[in-house]
Amino acid sequence: PAETRDAAQARVRSLPAPVTDVARLCVCDLLVAQCDVNCCCDPDCSAEDFSLFTTCSVPVVIGDRRLCSQKAAVYSLDVEANPPERIFKLIDQVNPSIFCIHATNYKQALYLKSPEIPTPENFDQLLDKFGGATFSAEPDSWNLDTDVQNPPEANETSRYEYGVPVQTEDAFLRLPSPVVSSWCSDANPAGFLVNQATKCIRSVSVEKCDSIQALSMLFYINSSILASVFQVNITVQSIAVQSLNGMRTLLSRSEVLRLPMVLDELCINAVLGVNYHITHTDTGEIIEAAAAFVLGAISKEELSIEQSFEISFTQENTQPVPLSGNPGYVVGLPVRAGFQPQGYPFPAAFSACFTCSGPSSQTLSSMDIYEIHLSNKHSQLTILQSTSTQDCLAAQGARAPVLFGYNMISGCKLRITAAVKCQPLAQTLLDVLKGQSFPEYVASFGNSQAQDVLDWVPITQLHISEQMTSHTLQSSCQIPVSLGIEVKWTKYGSLVNPQARIVNVTATITTTTLKQLPSGRERIIPITSSVVFTDISSPAEPSYKAWPTINIKLPFDFFYPFV
Amino acid sequence: NNSSQLSSLPLQILLYVNGIYYIFYFLATLAMIIYKSQVFSYPDEFLAPDLAVLFLMAILEVPRLYLGFKGNLTEAEAPLGLSLGLTVGSVVLCVYLLLWQTYVLWADVLLNAVLLSAYGLESGLKVTAIAAFVS
Repeated sequence: PAETRDAAQARVRSLPAPVTDVARLCVCDLLVAQCDVNCCCDPDCSAEDFSLFTTCSVPVVIGDRRLCSQKAAVYSLDVEANPPERIFKLIDQVNPSIFCIHATNYKQALYLKSPEIPTPENFDQLLDKFGGATFSAEPDSWNLDTDVQNPPEANETSRYEYGVPVQTEDAFLRLPSPVVSSWCSDANPAGFLVNQATKCIRSVSVEKCDSIQALSMLFYINSSILASVFQVNITVQSIAVQSLNGMRTLLSRSEVLRLPMVLDELCINAVLGVNYHITHTDTGEIIEAAAAFVLGAISKEELSIEQSFEISFTQENTQPVPLSGNPGYVVGLPVRAGFQPQGYPFPAAFSACFTCSGPSSQTLSSMDIYEIHLSNKHSQLTILQSTSTQDCLAAQGARAPVLFGYNMISGCKLRITAAVKCQPLAQTLLDVLKGQSFPEYVASFGNSQAQDVLDWVPITQLHISEQMTSHTLQSSCQIPVSLGIEVKWTKYGSLVNPQARIVNVTATITTTTLKQLPSGRERIIPITSSVVFTDISSPAEPSYKAWPTINIKLPFDFFYPFV
Repeated sequence: NNSSQLSSLPLQILLYVNGIYYIFYFLATLAMIIYKSQVFSYPDEFLAPDLAVLFLMAILEVPRLYLGFKGNLTEAEAPLGLSLGLTVGSVVLCVYLLLWQTYVLWADVLLNAVLLSAYGLESGLKVTAIAAFVS
């Protein structure tokens, strides 16, 4: 038993000896115990198999061709014979060149190197050499390069370059994100100037909620960011508390640190979302860092919560405005819209920017009385977003941004009973269709500045009423049932690089008469909203440059003495 | 043979031709080693001895030929004897380059064989010349 195990280990330690006899080598013999087609050197093939071959895929098996004299196995098919048969010849191949290798005293010269078999003794050394993601054929030169690179890196924390992880005192600024699965991994560093938004799931338990680090605010702000010669502390910009039914309230005093604690079988002050805002100079130095938190409560039944993280970088003294194209709109980017400020009709005094106050991307309850400033950088045209419940009145204000070039349609169902009053219903439906703040102007180019009034296209509002029967009176109740936004755009600019430009936006509200229902009955009316993009570009007219004119004129005193 | 002149004319001719041939041999062998190092796998630990042997042989060749010329022309047996000794060293190095180089090409075999035969013939003539001078 012990001897056989040693013997077995000794056998494993050495690889089988390589075959060097050309008569026994066959490169095309891939199938074991079966004849490979057109492989004349395959020992598994019989004479009948050879008679079916058309050609020999491997005509010569030879060692290194540069040797002066060596044995070669030559395989060929004799197609003249009937049936065709294979001819095998072992010949002495002579290399006539004067630089042929007569002899070598270096064993590995003409053969591939046998790899080292790992043994308990050399395993660590082999792991060092080959265990990484890459390894070099010359390990010595590899070490030399890393030594040279290391010293300059130590001084480079002052200036960050795009994509470089933001360094903090202990390691990197963490932006937990899902890796492989949806569970949060805390090892994802935030890259400089890389705006990211991630959502991941963290497993929690109410009993241990004050000991789970990732639920506490401290975890996200305790280490300070290393920047130039000093360290930048992460300040708390704002704290919003989210209740169990999804309503968020912004706290007025956000300096106080709120740590998670267990209260009445709930874990309160657990971090549900962090939004980092990093301010940097134009030379890449970080000067400010702030974090806006969303804290929430975790009930006993919940075993996991979804956390969302976002980081955005702003250059100091600038207001970042996301462009939807430069200059023409890019398909898939949101259509930019805005309002004109009050008191517009004095164009000479017009200098304020269009207020950027489209609905924010957070979900708002329709009863929400506080405004959320957390991500108020979008000014977009939005349409109703269909929800799973399909109930218009419980829609909760979910809106989807209108993306340029993407026709969208969405809707919900309205249940009408006899007790419903018409006028409030019409107003609610108008809110549902148009949203809290329906913009008045749409940018015609993707990079239109708010100061350029002429670059903005007004939204034309149309009302169409579906008259079901001719005797319906104007005074009877009309409720809006659909909103159709038609965006007409054209190609603008050069023929080879046309830019999309919005020319006309029309929002059409279609209303229908609400017939009074007999009591006890109810009706379901579908409400739809849609966005259609229409290309109204006129066919391009190529314009050519004028032929160059040859302009030869002699100077007036060219023939001086004679003229 | 003119009895008043003991210097060996064939030896002189051979030494002269040997000098010219050796220059060609040195340059050709050096060029071939460079060629081999580019085309074949030639690690440094095998390249170094081959180059060392070649340069050692070149260093030995100069005094060897000079002493041979001097000894033959002045009809002195001491320089000629020294030259013979150095020839033995050169022969050993030549045999190394012929048999124990890392890569022995066919051109190597030819060059070294010619050089060895020249050395052999030279040694025979030197011995005859020494015998003539001594007696």
